[in-house]
Amino acid sequence: MSLLRVSWRNLWRNRRRTAITMTAIALNTLILITTYSLMGGFLKQTVRNVTQLATGEAQLHAPGYLSDRSLYKRIAYPRTVLQALGEHSIGAAPRTYGYGLVSRETKSAGALFQGVEPAMETAAFELAGHLAQGTFLAPAAHKGLVLGRKLAKSLNAEVGSEIVVLVQAADGSLGNDLFTVVGILGAVGEAIDRNAAMMHLDDFRQLFAMPEGIHEIAVNTRGRIPLDALVETLSRLAPGDEVRTWRRLLPTFSDMIELSGVSMSIFGAVFLIAAGLGIMNTMLMATYERAREFGLQKALGATPWRIVRDVTFEAWLLACVATMFGTLAGLAASYVLQTTGLNTASLAEETTISGVVFDPVWRADPTLRTVVGPVLMMWAVCVLAALYPAAMSARLDPVKSM
Amino acid sequence: MNAGPCNAARLITVVVLFLALGISAGPDVYPVLAEELSARDILNKVDDLYRGTSSQGKMTMEVVTEHWKRTLSLEFRSRGKDRSLIRILAPLKEKGTATLRSGSDLWNYLPKVNRVIKLPSSMLSASWMGSHFTNDDLVKGSRFAEDYDFRISFQGMRDGQDVVELTCIPKPQAPVVWGKVEVVVRRSDYLPVATRYYDEGLRLARTMAFTNYRELSGRLLPTVMTLVPRDKPGEKTQIVYEEIRFDVVLSDDVFSLRNLQQ
Repeated sequence: MSLLRVSWRNLWRNRRRTAITMTAIALNTLILITTYSLMGGFLKQTVRNVTQLATGEAQLHAPGYLSDRSLYKRIAYPRTVLQALGEHSIGAAPRTYGYGLVSRETKSAGALFQGVEPAMETAAFELAGHLAQGTFLAPAAHKGLVLGRKLAKSLNAEVGSEIVVLVQAADGSLGNDLFTVVGILGAVGEAIDRNAAMMHLDDFRQLFAMPEGIHEIAVNTRGRIPLDALVETLSRLAPGDEVRTWRRLLPTFSDMIELSGVSMSIFGAVFLIAAGLGIMNTMLMATYERAREFGLQKALGATPWRIVRDVTFEAWLLACVATMFGTLAGLAASYVLQTTGLNTASLAEETTISGVVFDPVWRADPTLRTVVGPVLMMWAVCVLAALYPAAMSARLDPVKSM
Repeated sequence: MNAGPCNAARLITVVVLFLALGISAGPDVYPVLAEELSARDILNKVDDLYRGTSSQGKMTMEVVTEHWKRTLSLEFRSRGKDRSLIRILAPLKEKGTATLRSGSDLWNYLPKVNRVIKLPSSMLSASWMGSHFTNDDLVKGSRFAEDYDFRISFQGMRDGQDVVELTCIPKPQAPVVWGKVEVVVRRSDYLPVATRYYDEGLRLARTMAFTNYRELSGRLLPTVMTLVPRDKPGEKTQIVYEEIRFDVVLSDDVFSLRNLQQ
């Protein structure tokens, strides 16, 4: 194709200039792809930490439960709801909550007790695989306790430690019993780290004199069902209950994710503008040098549109070659960041933002969006930047320019 | 999932609170005559009504909440204003459960598991949400005459009773959570009739009513105390003194962790 060949030749009329511009664009592409892949991976990992570990994508509660977490606001027909969720292959875990005291020898602390069905919890969530020590709760009630790591630390508790538990039961009596620590959780989030004491649902029922009902059904489809559709399904399956997505359960965290998207866009815009100015300069110089040529073309009958097309195509070709190298380099960098990760542990031992613990090792997650996105944007910017020199060339008066 | 104040400690708090508030009465703290007393004297009498050398006795505590109602039979012993031991006699399920207050420390003995646990200090300084009492009642032990500015705000007949009402506003630095407290006493003997607690917005938060004035061990006492929280309609905590003896000799051993476990 002659346009391609002509453009290609034109590009290399000034090798050094073109090479420098290409390098700049390639570097910009490399940076954008790598940063987007890394940020994308980090956010995905963080959202995953939050939703897949324990919070879930959505939760069901009795109306008003979240405002006061009263022991008495319970989901009326949990079995029916759980069964319906099971039929829709939606992973779900029933939970009960109650405040109380945990004590070991001379240490004691307040705790948020959580009654869970270990089998369902393990099937729907990944908390069981997130232990720093020991094992998760066994499928049958056994007076075992899994503690949040900070709670365990404040009690000096280890796996095997005996813990005295004291609560005010649902009938007003003092519920108390001896439990044994079977596991200690890794970093999950401030609330769980500091307060959580998980036990088998049956142990919870006995301790709190609460023979029936649950406080929460946490739902996790592992991203299979979009949030909106999930909310719709849940509202239909459990008409009497309140449905909350993780975005509403963790509004600060959700806002932070949104905000990081905005800041990434600003970051990207700065790089794109820099690249655009580079290419505009190159094309201005290139067209200025070729004023006579364009004048001749016009004198020979070339339409202004044709000249605009030639110039912008040239700019696109330049961007195309440059982004190709940039993409290769970006993919390579992302691959390294994906496999070995970027360890930020040396910067801060642990990053907690609005109660969510962030993994210190950031791993890139190059996707179609984080790779093709920057390339397409770079192309668009290059073509746009070339429009000005292209228009200048197209408007040349053949007589004057020759 | 915030770690709210611990509801589990509600009962313990209630139990110990009453211990701190109502059980110990020392010698010579009751005005024997209806003499004219200054506002300061009246408040000191009311404060000292519940503070003394030592006491021992039995009481019944009834707690009514929206969700449950229960009655506990309790045995108590106290010495000074910061040592007390209280043990549940009934119901059977909790029989033997005991609470020891020694200074600012609180310990609980749980017979079912045969263990003693200490109430964490973080909970000592917190107020119990949802409870009929605040932890401030328990530990601070503020005195009306010292920690409040006060004045007599009413004198005369009210509800068929000749009473004196004192309005107490906490001093700026006072370790008090209330915005205002009203103390109502009978003019005849300056025994308390009611105490009304207002929050910092000066809204009524709770009322403590003193009734059934009866002679126990030769002393005239309001033998029933009823605490009604304003924000939980229908809920209340009521204490009825069954028997009480004053000036009993109680050694340090009584208030030891060893004795707690028996």
